Amino acid sequence: MFYSVRHITRFRYSSPVRESVMEIRMQPRSEGPQMLRSFQISTNPRSQLYAYTDHFGNAVYHFNVLKEHAELRIEAQAVIEIARFQLPPIALDLLEWERFNNYNLTHDHFDLLEPSKFALPSPALAAFMTEKNLAKPEGDPLTALGYLNTTINQAFDYESGVTQADSPIEHALTGKRGVCQDFAHIMIAIARSWGIPARYVSGYLYHRPKTQDRSGPDATHAWVECYLPSLGWVGFDPTNNILADERHIRAAVGRDYADVPPTRGTFKGVAASELAIAVSVEPTQAPVRHEDFLRVARPMATPAPTPSMPQHLYHQQQQQQQ
Amino acid sequence: MSAAQSRPELVLSPQPGESPFAAYKLGAPYDEMFAADGTVRPHYAALAERLANLPPEELLRRQQACETSFLHQGITFTVYSDKQATERIFPADLFPRIVTASEWAKIEAGLTQRIAALNLFLKDIYTDGRVLKDGLIPRSMIYGSKHYRREMRGLPVPHDAYVNVCGSDLVRNESGEYVVLEDNLRVPSGVSYMLANRDVVRRAFPSLFRSQGVRPVDQYPRELLATLRALTPVREDVSIAVLTPGVFNSAYFEHAFLARQMGVELVEGRDLLVNDNVVYTRTTSGLKRIDVIYRRIDDDFVDPLIFRDDSALGVSGLFNAYRAGNVMIANALGTGVADDKAVYAYVPRLIRYYLSEEPILNNVETFLCREPKSLSYVLANLDKLVVKAVGESGGYGMLVGMHASKAEREAFAEMVKADPENYIAQPTIQLSTAPTFVDGRVEPRHVDLRPFILHADKTVIVPGALTRVALRRGSLVVNSSQGGGSKDTWVLSN
Repeated sequence: MFYSVRHITRFRYSSPVRESVMEIRMQPRSEGPQMLRSFQISTNPRSQLYAYTDHFGNAVYHFNVLKEHAELRIEAQAVIEIARFQLPPIALDLLEWERFNNYNLTHDHFDLLEPSKFALPSPALAAFMTEKNLAKPEGDPLTALGYLNTTINQAFDYESGVTQADSPIEHALTGKRGVCQDFAHIMIAIARSWGIPARYVSGYLYHRPKTQDRSGPDATHAWVECYLPSLGWVGFDPTNNILADERHIRAAVGRDYADVPPTRGTFKGVAASELAIAVSVEPTQAPVRHEDFLRVARPMATPAPTPSMPQHLYHQQQQQQQ
Repeated sequence: MSAAQSRPELVLSPQPGESPFAAYKLGAPYDEMFAADGTVRPHYAALAERLANLPPEELLRRQQACETSFLHQGITFTVYSDKQATERIFPADLFPRIVTASEWAKIEAGLTQRIAALNLFLKDIYTDGRVLKDGLIPRSMIYGSKHYRREMRGLPVPHDAYVNVCGSDLVRNESGEYVVLEDNLRVPSGVSYMLANRDVVRRAFPSLFRSQGVRPVDQYPRELLATLRALTPVREDVSIAVLTPGVFNSAYFEHAFLARQMGVELVEGRDLLVNDNVVYTRTTSGLKRIDVIYRRIDDDFVDPLIFRDDSALGVSGLFNAYRAGNVMIANALGTGVADDKAVYAYVPRLIRYYLSEEPILNNVETFLCREPKSLSYVLANLDKLVVKAVGESGGYGMLVGMHASKAEREAFAEMVKADPENYIAQPTIQLSTAPTFVDGRVEPRHVDLRPFILHADKTVIVPGALTRVALRRGSLVVNSSQGGGSKDTWVLSN
């Protein structure tokens, strides 16, 4: 399956600002069944983009705009291929708990078992866990996580605007409503309390025309991945009560939202800023492969090399004829 | 001294002709100048003789000259209290603290070894994490530390030198052995007082200074500059800046002093900007590139884009310029993880682990309650120990056994038993005393010793230190904000 993702972010300032500095985490990852085929990113005002890989393996772009500007636009465009998805089994055996060992609970996963900025234990969370019977499960962890996914989905209304990107989960827990970020953070906090490494995934969801997804089609999406020793990372989407599948396009992973905001920036100047975001995810054709694109090859009328001609000279002359 | 010990506590200013040491009372702690039997230690003999020949009025006059000089030079620090900030001079004591060549040789070797191990440790926890995999240090201690910077993972630093400037606090215990109390690996301060004290005390005792063979310290700014230069591959026209939080910082004097002494820019965050991943300072003639930043602001404030987003002291984009290798920062970010209470206890083991050497300088004896043997000792001796929760700071979760009631001790013992991994314990240490000029007389006061270690392609320790003095009688608190003063430290060449 091929998808084309277009993601536009626009900041408008009430009066001109200067020295904007920004980091962007929007480039879809290439791993597992997901392969990034192309990625372009540009800014307006134009800027030189730099990139690095953060310690979670996310591609981070960053840039700055020195001169005064009242608007800053970032446009990212990606083509992604997602291979046919092997959904995990319905359940695992009870011994799965014992397969968590010192190794897979410490090395790379240590941070993903600890509370983090937005996935913090709290009285509201404890009350929710008691109410919904979400103490550490007796049954196998995969079934339990599926139950948790559904429970969160059913306990909260999807409503954008009541929580902010950086709201603590208390807002959603007390108001019983929120967006994908809130649901992901709640699920992460509970999974970790069970001793299951859990991480936050920021990305995009392809909304099929007739599916009943609660998350909006014109926004970025967020879900959860939990580590199970016999399966590796399994994605859960509590917003839509589904497992992450070939419609989920992963851009960045982290402990929670704080590690992977799509944009993070600073500027100088006194101004109110207004943020507008547009996202589209569309199925697309497979991009033309190099081999096909280059198929109009012309035979070259090159004289055969004479035995005395040095190899490098031969190559050099060939290039000149092209 | 036995005659002196029988004197009443309160003695008026000495009369003309009386020895300034008449009221000097030796106690249980090690004294820098006098042996336990009251005889003057050989390396203090010249000073003792000089003082014996000086009338008390003359001593007083010199002490006052000394203080005036500090005031005139503007060598002050700021005391914060109740929203009011007061500038004070850091009281400098007239009498030098004298360190013998052999004592210094041990300190120098010990600190060189220590900083090597600490840098290897920092490299390890920001790359392979071998020490964690081997189980020598629990992960929670590192990853749970608020000073551990995940952003530093995998980032190479020049010469693998994370800590370029270190100030280690040493104290002498009752037996006279120098032990390390604390490593300061973030932005240690105080070196300007080391240099200023030398300046003033040398003038107070010019002939004594010359005859003693005191090793010089005034090359410190030059050595610091060389250390900073060694961090950048740029070889010509290296542009270096000292980054200060600003004039309201208590150590601003030192930031300005060091910048002036090194002949480099003194900048605040707002003077800098990052463009296309390169750091510039704004000057009257336009932007000027900066290659190395000696930062005197905490990690949290360095870059609002990456760390605390409300930081008004830092420079947005600085960390990414650093990551790209376009600017070097000393000290590297994330060094604070190696100087907290918990890791401190492990430093002797880290020295054995990374260097396969025995520590030359010991720690203050520290009991890790996570170890069953230590735990039973701590529980049996709670009345003699100071017990601290490793994850906490600011006195929270701490028990000073000798001042606690039986009930408090018992309650605390239960907490320690419930979570032994979270506690360490140390005996109360009696810092050594040194003769100090107080109200016209010489009295013993507790002192510590903070040498400064420079480390990049090599380790350099200027033979000197800041000796801090607890000016209140009996006090063990040497901090400048708590009534501490300082002394010039003379390291003898033989």
